[in-house]
Amino acid sequence: MQARHCVDLEPVWRALASPIRRQMLDRLREGPLPTGELAAEFPDHSRFAVMQHLRVLEESGLVIRRKRGRRTINYLNPVPIQQIYDRWVSRYQRHWSASLVDLKTQLEHEHETDWAG
Amino acid sequence: MPHETEMAPYVMSIDIHVPIQAVWDEITKTGSIQRPLYNSVLDVTLEPGSRLRYYSPDRQRVFVVGEVLEVDPPRKFSHTYHFMMNGVEPPTTVTWELAEIPGGTRVTVTHAGFTSAHKGAGKQQAGWQEILGLLKAELETGTIPLRMRFVYALMGKMTWMLPKSTKVEEVERAGF
Repeated sequence: MQARHCVDLEPVWRALASPIRRQMLDRLREGPLPTGELAAEFPDHSRFAVMQHLRVLEESGLVIRRKRGRRTINYLNPVPIQQIYDRWVSRYQRHWSASLVDLKTQLEHEHETDWAG
Repeated sequence: MPHETEMAPYVMSIDIHVPIQAVWDEITKTGSIQRPLYNSVLDVTLEPGSRLRYYSPDRQRVFVVGEVLEVDPPRKFSHTYHFMMNGVEPPTTVTWELAEIPGGTRVTVTHAGFTSAHKGAGKQQAGWQEILGLLKAELETGTIPLRMRFVYALMGKMTWMLPKSTKVEEVERAGF
């Protein structure tokens, strides 16, 4: 059975589109936090709003939530960001191998014109 | 002895569009090369207390030594983890959790128990990130990116550069 090599990045893009969610990710990158402590870092937003944002982040896979006793700890999952990078950033960079192929083609072309000249 | 600060565990997850059993079989495969796990060979009996080793493809070096903690096929596999590249360090713990989701399997790896006594904890997380991506490619497409196969070919030529602590004889001498 050949599965499609498919990554649905749509939920990740939607999650990243919100400034406060990006701030939450930056905060969690420094280390996981229980929900209460994370919410305390966003005093301008209601607890309800923070929970909504966390739910979007969890559904996108960017945040993994784990119950520890009565608290829930929120962990940043770096994998979806890596997938965004692989899909949208790395292929826009010239790789060294492509540069070498270009160099080879260029040298061969110069060599040909030397012969013809 | 100074009290080492404990660090928070690393938790990472990827969704792979193959059945849970296929993922389990791949990550618990012994005796042959696991391409997603940096081309290493796993040697283990899947029962709690059993010794675990990840070898280099030529079996001359040991990258990871540990002991199996929990086995619950096809959902959970955890073991202690001594990273032999760093010499002798206190063990950390690796837990693989597989869960069925619509269309496939969610694979979550938790690497816990790091303290300030451990070298390069952040590199371990980066490593797992790469491993999960390679696992997805291997299971969904049957192969891994060319770039990585090239890196493995280079790594194969450079085993002589690895620290002495990874040599099989040294590992045995250290009591692992």
